[in-house]
Amino acid sequence: MNIQAGRKFTRILGAEWGKLVTLPAVWLILAGTFVAQWVLTAAYTSVALQEGAILSAGLASMRYLQAGFMMLGVTATASEYTGGQIRTTLTALPWRGLQLSVKHLALVMIAVPAAFLMAASGVLYASLMLRDTAVGLEPDLIAASLAGATGYLTFTALLGAAAGAIWRRTTPALVILLGYYFIVSPLAGAYLPDYLPDTAGYYMYAPPSADPHNALTRMQGTGISILWTLLFITAAILLYRKRDA
Amino acid sequence: MLTINNLVKRRGTQEILSGISFEARPGRVTGFLGPNGAGKSSTLRILLGLDHATSGSALIHGKPFAELQHPLRTVGAALDGSGAHPMRTGRAHLRWIACAAGLPRSRVEEVLDVVGLTKAAGTRVKQYSLGMGRRLGIAAALLADPELLVLDEPVNGLDPEGIRWIRTFLRQRAEAGNTVLLSSHLMGELAETVDDVVIIKQGRIVADGTLEEVTGSHSTLEQAFFALTSEHAGDLR
Repeated sequence: MNIQAGRKFTRILGAEWGKLVTLPAVWLILAGTFVAQWVLTAAYTSVALQEGAILSAGLASMRYLQAGFMMLGVTATASEYTGGQIRTTLTALPWRGLQLSVKHLALVMIAVPAAFLMAASGVLYASLMLRDTAVGLEPDLIAASLAGATGYLTFTALLGAAAGAIWRRTTPALVILLGYYFIVSPLAGAYLPDYLPDTAGYYMYAPPSADPHNALTRMQGTGISILWTLLFITAAILLYRKRDA
Repeated sequence: MLTINNLVKRRGTQEILSGISFEARPGRVTGFLGPNGAGKSSTLRILLGLDHATSGSALIHGKPFAELQHPLRTVGAALDGSGAHPMRTGRAHLRWIACAAGLPRSRVEEVLDVVGLTKAAGTRVKQYSLGMGRRLGIAAALLADPELLVLDEPVNGLDPEGIRWIRTFLRQRAEAGNTVLLSSHLMGELAETVDDVVIIKQGRIVADGTLEEVTGSHSTLEQAFFALTSEHAGDLR
């Protein structure tokens, strides 16, 4: 029975992985995000030459990088509804809750290395450019910030995937997510609590704050981000199971 | 064996299916006929677990589709269109389905050959004609060599050669002991292919029997169909 369950899981993961890597939009989004990240990191690093803050300069493009990972996530799930592919998916893999969960796992397998490469290359570039002016950084702090950045971008992709599954179309899911992250949150940030997905996620990779009374710790930011991600994925799975395809 | 039992589907205040029941048996091609909007696709979607029934059941070997241990090896289904993302190639589409069924990649090449898509396998699906899209959908249905075939309007978009091929193919599948259920609104295309006929009109079954029984005193299946489904026809079942 366990062997059968294991085989079933492996087949679903293989199928979902196959779907993701053969979709040109996935690679276009990743390539576009990588190029944008390099351009932005170069710009932020040139501005930061006087300050010598490697981590701030290296991870300054995170705010924009998250848009790419949102698109990646939304594309992963909303693409099911293009060309009637959802019918094929559900006749091949009719276990809806398991299939959508494993699709999120396949997305993690792409998002984690991509997010790490982007975050690490940004920090590496900044450290090379600022090596003469920057103060030395603790390896532990760099590792924690990179792990936090990788985790945050991965959670953002997962939130995007859940939104894509909920709205079932790319445009409305992206308009709602980008509208919140890039319009509502920046404009109303002062009035919004720290535990919303973008602000809590910020503390996953940001250097420790000078004002500890007004900030979450890295662990708190991570915990809250995990809860948001699980909440969205759970809502997506419940709707997916309940609705007609 | 496919068993539809007292199936009801409502969307809002509209009743799409009003308690329909019929069976599709092994070794026979069952034609599920009706005008557009009669409820054929809704029935097949519920049978395949895509839509939920309001009440009643649609079972495959006594189980709902979602409870099948090996869905692709049990039922091969092709609904309208290709069922593939337009930006993926035909081969990539079949490969992820093969992976889902635990089949080797060589099987993909075999079905591509069977449906005559080998040369177009590396082309993105968005560049396929309607007929090529249908062939890709049928290739996906055949991939795991299933015991049952469920095809929605299989001859739509096929050229005369394709229609002839699918007729012969479906007959061969049934003669090998498999169950074939196909829906259509084109009577002329089906009369030479089906053994049993189920006719649906406005969400109700109005005829169910062998081809001879349903045709009855009419000269053709097409004439029987129009007599049964025309505006003033009563329920002759």
